[in-house]
Amino acid sequence: MRSVAVFVEQDSGAVRRTALEMCTKAADLAKELNTASMAVVVGTGANAAADRLKATPVDKIAACEDPIFERYLLDPAVDALQSALEQAGPAIVLFASTNASKDIAARIAVRLRAGIITEANEIAVKDGSLSVQSPKFGGSVITTVAIKNAENAVIVCRSNSFAAREEPGKGEIVSLPAPGGAGYRATVHERRSEEAGKLGVEEATIVVSGGRGLGGPEHFDIIEGLADALGGAVGASRAAVDAGWIAHGHQVGQTGKSVSPQLYIACGISGAIQHKVGMRSAGTIVAINKDASAPIYDFCDLGVVGDLFAIVPELTKLVKERKGAA
Amino acid sequence: MKIVVTVKQVPDTNAEKVFDSTTNRLNRTSIENVLNPFDEYAIEEALKIKEGAGDGSTVTVLTMAPESGREVIRKALAMGADDAAILSDPAFQGSDAMATSYALAQALKHIGFDLILAGTQSTDAICCAIPAALAEHLGVSCLTYARKVTVAGGEVEIQRDIEGGYARVTAPLPAVVSVVKGINEPRYPSLKGIMGAKKKSIEVLSAAAVGAEAGRVGDAGSFTRVQGWAAAPAREKGRVIKAADPGEGAKAIVDFLIAKKVI
Ligand SMILES: Cc1cc2nc3c(=O)[nH]c(=O)nc-3n(C[C@H](O)[C@H](O)[C@H](O)COP(=O)(O)OP(=O)(O)OC[C@H]3O[C@@H](n4cnc5c(N)ncnc54)[C@H](O)[C@@H]3O)c2cc1C
Ligand SMILES: Nc1ncnc2c1ncn2[C@@H]1O[C@H](COP(=O)(O)O)[C@@H](O)[C@H]1O
Repeated sequence: MRSVAVFVEQDSGAVRRTALEMCTKAADLAKELNTASMAVVVGTGANAAADRLKATPVDKIAACEDPIFERYLLDPAVDALQSALEQAGPAIVLFASTNASKDIAARIAVRLRAGIITEANEIAVKDGSLSVQSPKFGGSVITTVAIKNAENAVIVCRSNSFAAREEPGKGEIVSLPAPGGAGYRATVHERRSEEAGKLGVEEATIVVSGGRGLGGPEHFDIIEGLADALGGAVGASRAAVDAGWIAHGHQVGQTGKSVSPQLYIACGISGAIQHKVGMRSAGTIVAINKDASAPIYDFCDLGVVGDLFAIVPELTKLVKERKGAA
Repeated sequence: MKIVVTVKQVPDTNAEKVFDSTTNRLNRTSIENVLNPFDEYAIEEALKIKEGAGDGSTVTVLTMAPESGREVIRKALAMGADDAAILSDPAFQGSDAMATSYALAQALKHIGFDLILAGTQSTDAICCAIPAALAEHLGVSCLTYARKVTVAGGEVEIQRDIEGGYARVTAPLPAVVSVVKGINEPRYPSLKGIMGAKKKSIEVLSAAAVGAEAGRVGDAGSFTRVQGWAAAPAREKGRVIKAADPGEGAKAIVDFLIAKKVI
């Protein structure tokens, strides 16, 4: 029987909520399949991360703490994960939808001759086999995909798709040997942080986005103010990104990120189809636009027609008051 | 230096998607296709590297697609690529991401390369899997999500997008590099480019020509099966209010968020 594994990304021991969501999902799937679940975590801080994962419902945590993971780009991580998986036997392996995890997922899939399913937002077991939901074509079509002719399955999961649950003290930690390092080619020379500690739009449960209606880069601070008050991330339309007002990593849409937060607030964004495809799967959409005929009003849950420069600061104030009172 | 850019034709975002009810596959011939927008950045970067090198380097475009894929190839040639190959064979029908990456890797071995440039993702499938899978199949360096690329002395250096910043990474050639949007401004094909593209060679490659094993491509060589599909539920038009003043507008939003239990 295939076991269920999760590749967990960590940064100095800190793990993202998505990893906790996937660990919970892995444990639940393993239970249904009558098999075991395992988390694999590598890099500087892996041991601290493993301790944190003990509070999730996974059965086992394989950790490898070694500086080699920082010296080379992903090659050691792929090797370490492969050896952990080979020990465990055939597996369903879950990955987060980050740049690093998507790369490792694709490479592990080639090595293990696994079926790969990306953008998964629901994983179920039907009659003993996997059934995975994955939105395609900008979320306009939801496909249901199964694995065939392969012992292993690699599934790249969207953030905010599964609920996270704690089960303190459950997992058993085992340590993985460090990979050898022979033949690693891609060398990391330095890491520069530009927006340290800021939440990415893909993972945030709340995204506040600004568009051309902001009129200039200096006005993104009011979007940031609201995002901070709500504990969310800052997104942007392509128009705002192409104007150079904000880094392209913030872009939501067809040529940016696809997000599915609980709440999406669009400020000064018209709602073009290419923007819509990146955010249509948000739980709730709120729009602020001064043009009552903007297309965004056709698919938002609440629209307020008015000047964002007046409404957003007022909204930030009210949110802070509410949070202060709660 | 031989640079190969992998490009994909994707359905236009506005096109209505029609699925074949027996195979559960998208009918790609009945809809309007365009060059995957992400691949324009890869083509532009390849042309810039070639022009910068000024040493007779060449840019070849490779796509795996039905013969209709010629249209997107022509756009790449009009932008300035030297020649193109189209991997096209009924045997490839129904290939999933793994089968596609295997077939493309076989074609790349057949064509030869020093540097492979790709987009980070395609707008239809958003697998973000092909570039890294290619590197793995080919056993070459894998440098993905580049926002800056420099090639010198048989080595490639990139600035890789990472959470909250970037990493400077180097590797020896040959290598696969995928580029992010924003790395450059893709050029528009000039009239001269468009005319010139008509004379450029487009080689059609079959599965046999690239030595792709029958059991590893097409539906038989795929490890995933699309069991079904459904149109995503349309988002209902919600409440739109015209606030008398900003305070009232803001209050309406906060009340709504409280009712939705978001705050
Ligand atoms: C191949 C391709 C890919 C694309 N990919 C993307 C993508 O990934 N993401 C994306 O977003 N777009 C994408 N686009 C672009 C898309 O078509 C739109 O051009 C873009 O989304 C528009 O951005 P916007 O809504 O910020 O600007 P606009 O359409 O100009 O809208 C600005 C809005 O702000 C409102 N406004 C102005 N001032 C105020 C004020 N003071 N208060 C309140 N409201 C105000 C206006 O009424 C207007 O509705 C893509 C296009 C193409 C062709
Ligand atoms: N059928 C294909 N033919 C050629 N290149 C492809 C094909 N599919 C994907 N690619 C390349 O892989 C990149 C990532 O696509 P994907 O992994 O499908 O999201 C694209 O930007 C292309 O460079």
